Amino acid sequence: MNSPGRPDVADRVLVWDLPLRLFHWTLLVLVTVAFITALVGGKAMVLHGRAGVGIAGLLIFRLVWGIAGSTYARFAHFVRSPHAVGDYLAGRWEGIGHNPLGALSVLAMLAALAVQVATGLSANDDIAFNGPLYPLVARDMSNLLTELHGINAWIVGTLIVLHVAAIAFYASVKKENLVLPMVHGWKVRRNASEASHRGGGIVALIVALTLALAAAWGASGKWIS
Amino acid sequence: MKRCASVTTTLLLGLAFSSAAMAVTTEDAIKYRKSVMAAQQWHMLAMGAMVKGDTPYDKADFERRAESVAHLNKMFMEGFTVAGADKGESRAKPEVWATMEKFKGGAEKLGVESAKLVQAAQSGDMKAIKTQYGDVQGVCKGCHDSFQRKER
Repeated sequence: MNSPGRPDVADRVLVWDLPLRLFHWTLLVLVTVAFITALVGGKAMVLHGRAGVGIAGLLIFRLVWGIAGSTYARFAHFVRSPHAVGDYLAGRWEGIGHNPLGALSVLAMLAALAVQVATGLSANDDIAFNGPLYPLVARDMSNLLTELHGINAWIVGTLIVLHVAAIAFYASVKKENLVLPMVHGWKVRRNASEASHRGGGIVALIVALTLALAAAWGASGKWIS
Repeated sequence: MKRCASVTTTLLLGLAFSSAAMAVTTEDAIKYRKSVMAAQQWHMLAMGAMVKGDTPYDKADFERRAESVAHLNKMFMEGFTVAGADKGESRAKPEVWATMEKFKGGAEKLGVESAKLVQAAQSGDMKAIKTQYGDVQGVCKGCHDSFQRKER
């Protein structure tokens, strides 16, 4: 929503809603924790597992929010055809929110993180840590999932590096700060047709949070007797 | 003829009694050392559950398990040092044998830390136990990082 007293034809538009922004920064923290605890290992593995369960919940939240959330958070809004990606690379794209190439990177990161969570939940470290869903699979399967988990970590890391590089590129070359909009949600208006986001109200939020918490509960394995 | 028979008999008897040491296969050596370490993991997991509070802490049980891990420590090395142990398919990297002194050093460090865990277990002091349990985990990981292939 716009701040009071400012008509919609103001010098800035509200692009990213608060739940989305909270999602983004919480994900950043948990993924960082997951990487560090994985490298440290040993007694840090318990925290690693908890970070993974948290990320599972966040991913489900984003999935639901991508369907029921506000305008620019919705997948239907920013997921575009390869043609649109070509337009963007040729400089012909004009829009707000995720550009077509950025959209692909969002999907790639979400998918890679989903694979990481799925493989990690029943992985084992040969020493004293089993993922929370380890009892659900055979040992051989756990070993295979553990190996995939290790390989996919490189994919996640690469995508994150590319993501940060893209943000840096926008800042230094295109002189556009993309970090601040993800913090406070506002971006400078470029033309009269740009509008602040709509939708993503309290009902959508409750549904998304409920499903996210259910997913985290499922991932935690606490229901396994 | 008699001389031929006695020579043959001597040779046969000699062969029968000379192999007093059982010949071990590479496959058995790999299976043995994996089993010993799997047994360590079994006890580590059970202790870990008590450390995390997932299962109730039982002092006697924890002590028994810490002693098992310490004892199992003394058992796995021969699975790496017998003839043919460096062959076959396993996750042991060639570094185990190329830097055997370092590998043995790692095993000794595990011996020291697991002995400390036994002492902590005997004290019943959960804070000391938690710290020492974490240290044992760290030593396991240290050797794995250097000597165990990630591919399964």
